[in-house]
Amino acid sequence: MSGIVIAVVVLTILALIFGILLGFAAEKFKVEGDPLAEQVEALLPQTQCGQCGYPGCKPYAEAIANGDKINKCPPGGTATMEKIADLVGVDPEPLNATEEIQEKKVAYIREDECIGCTKCIQACPVDAILGSGKLMHTVITDYCTGCDLCVAPCPVDCIDMLPIEQTTKTWNWQLNAIPVKQVQEDPQC
Amino acid sequence: MLTLLEQVDKGTLWRSHGGIHPPELKTLSSKTTIANFPLASHFIIPIPQVGDSALLRIKKGERVVKGQALTAGTSFAHCAVHAPTSGTITAIEQLPSNHASGLPVLSCVLTADGQDESIETITSDLSTLDNQQILKLIQNAGIAGLGGAAFPTHIKLSPVSDIELVIINGIECEPYITSDDRLMQEYSDEIISGIAIIERLLTPKRIIIAIEDNKPEAIEAMQHSLNRSELSSDNVRITKVPTKYPSGGEKQLIQILTGQEVPSGAIPAQLGMLVQNVATAYAIQDAVINGQPLISRVVTVTGLNCETPGNYWLPIGTQVQHILQTSGFKGDLSQDKIIIGGPMMGHSLPDVTAPVLKGTNCILLPSTEEIAPDQQEMPCIRCGECAVVCPALLLPQQLFWHAQAEEYDKAASFNLHDCIECGCCSYVCPSDIPLVEYYRVAKSALRTQSEEKKQADLAKQRFDARQQRLEDEKLARETKAREAAARRKNSMASADKNVVAEAMARMKAKKAAQSNTADSVAPAPVQDKKAQIAAAIARAKAKKASATTATDHPVGSDDVEVDPIDDKKAKINAAIARAKAKKAQQNNPSAKTSAPDVQVNAVDEKKAKVAAAIARAKAKKQLQADGDKTQEKVLVDNDTALATNTVPNTNKESTETTLAADTKKARIAAAVAKAKAKKQSLTSDDTEATNPNAVANDSSTDPAAESALSPAEIKKARIAAAVAKAKAKKAQAKLEEKE
Repeated sequence: MSGIVIAVVVLTILALIFGILLGFAAEKFKVEGDPLAEQVEALLPQTQCGQCGYPGCKPYAEAIANGDKINKCPPGGTATMEKIADLVGVDPEPLNATEEIQEKKVAYIREDECIGCTKCIQACPVDAILGSGKLMHTVITDYCTGCDLCVAPCPVDCIDMLPIEQTTKTWNWQLNAIPVKQVQEDPQC
Repeated sequence: MLTLLEQVDKGTLWRSHGGIHPPELKTLSSKTTIANFPLASHFIIPIPQVGDSALLRIKKGERVVKGQALTAGTSFAHCAVHAPTSGTITAIEQLPSNHASGLPVLSCVLTADGQDESIETITSDLSTLDNQQILKLIQNAGIAGLGGAAFPTHIKLSPVSDIELVIINGIECEPYITSDDRLMQEYSDEIISGIAIIERLLTPKRIIIAIEDNKPEAIEAMQHSLNRSELSSDNVRITKVPTKYPSGGEKQLIQILTGQEVPSGAIPAQLGMLVQNVATAYAIQDAVINGQPLISRVVTVTGLNCETPGNYWLPIGTQVQHILQTSGFKGDLSQDKIIIGGPMMGHSLPDVTAPVLKGTNCILLPSTEEIAPDQQEMPCIRCGECAVVCPALLLPQQLFWHAQAEEYDKAASFNLHDCIECGCCSYVCPSDIPLVEYYRVAKSALRTQSEEKKQADLAKQRFDARQQRLEDEKLARETKAREAAARRKNSMASADKNVVAEAMARMKAKKAAQSNTADSVAPAPVQDKKAQIAAAIARAKAKKASATTATDHPVGSDDVEVDPIDDKKAKINAAIARAKAKKAQQNNPSAKTSAPDVQVNAVDEKKAKVAAAIARAKAKKQLQADGDKTQEKVLVDNDTALATNTVPNTNKESTETTLAADTKKARIAAAVAKAKAKKQSLTSDDTEATNPNAVANDSSTDPAAESALSPAEIKKARIAAAVAKAKAKKAQAKLEEKE
């Protein structure tokens, strides 16, 4: 009988000690923020385009961490979706938007037509448009993520999304490359 | 245990891993001396060839002379480009580049004038120059590594750490190419003096000139030159290196000569070593001593499709098609390849209009016999041959698997970046897999990925910064709004007080008027609406009065002043009333602290005038019709009332009193007086303010003023009255609506 009592007492004491230890550890080594959301965010393309329905990549990453669908990022394409699927451990699913040809584009303002309304500046999520009221605006192409958000607000429709031109530095080697032929075309506006 | 330098002095050689022995085919071009090439009519000089930031120093249509710099740059990395001959810049545009992609790059088109006029070259004495001046000369001459990579030499020659060992690379291990071989044979003295300049700049402990043993003439010539030179033979030695491809690679050569391996991702300078090409040494000498910029280089033009293979001094910017024409290209452009560089590492040229660059050491025009047609790629059989020959000690088949599966991250984990793309693996592959092509694809994909990552990080950073900014702005706006609200509240409090005071004053005035059993006249119009209402009331009353006076029995007159028959008297009376009103008006501004009437009246002047005109007209009519003394009584009463009222009712507007008995008449009179008062309130400030008391006290002085109202004006006044009536009605309607 005493043996049982001793066992119960000892186990209770042990449980208390470990409980305190765990409670202390949980407080002491508490991780701030959601590590999964951060990892997901690192995979997203950071175009901040809002095509997922969230105001930026971070909110969408948090939503994914909370169980939202992973196929809402057209700029990331299938590759990003698969990576996220790997990370959060869900099955890959086809992108909800029809996947266009993944061509990187940047905004370009036809400066002669710009009336300086600053609407595009307000729309740009990464502050890549330079200009002031009643003065011409221009896009800092190095900062442009090609998110398209500036195109709709423009009252005079002077913003074009132009594909980034390939240079010898960005050129990708291609197997069985067909020799490039120079085709003369009309210069754009 | 011997130290490294002792071993170097002994000429010890190490074995580098892998490598192959492809057919050399160098005799094709190595037998003839370096020839000059007939000058082309057009040159294409891409800008910038090396280094990114440069300013164009010439304009389209400008004439340039040979050796004139076309670009200027402020950055340290800038490597100038020069005009290869004299002529005119006919275009600056995007033109096909000498690159595997053939993509256009910004280039100057120089149309030669055939005179080949040169800029004045300044020859300098080496002993008078300091190291910085020498480096500046090298930079201004636009010297870049002539071995193929075309890295700016002045950067390489100003290392941050000490250089112990300088290796002069005369290996030239690729098949076909003999440009360095010929250069060493013919210009050994110049090369040695170039090496002397490098020695002066870097003061290394040892300099090794490494030449492959398949170039005995070059070794001999260099040895002679070295013996003749002032360079100490203790420090500088020529080392014969066994022929093997790719021992000319920088890392491979270091391993062969010193047994040390350059770590992955490191540069030789971190080991205290530096490798320079012999042709670069020659160019340094030419630039520093002769003041000649780098505008031409030795290029091997060879291959069985070439009628006159050999080495030529080619101006940089010469178009490949000119070379083809001059050297007798036998092949067919649509089928036969033109290879820039050697057969192992070179690339085929997509467009023959592309120019010769600083890094172009060979133009290979192979016939179909030399270059096997593209073989069908077969599956990898895991034979491991590629791993045996890989000079970088990589696992080519693993890299291939991952590259093929597009698992570039895994390929990168197998040190894909250390691949020097020498082509040994492809050369030995029994399945004819173009391994290097796979690696190139994988490498560019990885580069794109890292670019995108960088871009994404930047975008995120900027997005966060913007969010922060918007947040800050919002906060700032809110604080500002709060402050403004507080301010408004403060000022509102005082304004409210004023409003309350005014309202109180109005109430008092009303009370006073009521106590006088007379119509109270609206206070001096604070708003035009009030004025209009007042006018409307006055008019309505006047109308009523005029309607009734016809039937009214005239009141008998005992007043001396008034002559019932005389119009003039009536006028005088009107004038008196006006004067009284004026007086009252005069008193009011002085009593009141705030004078809103002044500003508002100015706006409302016209309307008030009209109203006054109506009232006047009515009054006149009345007077003419009645001619009785009621008016006078009223006026007299007014006089006394005003005299007493102005003191107690300081805030009050002009108030008229009438006799209690005669209400109708009195009302008419009140209306007249009111109108007058209104008019006076408009004009009193500027016209009659100076003399209010005189007018008020002496009524007999006023006929002159009243005489303005001639009978002719009566009609006008009527019209005005009609207008005013309409307006008043409108105002009334508005007011009601408001209420």
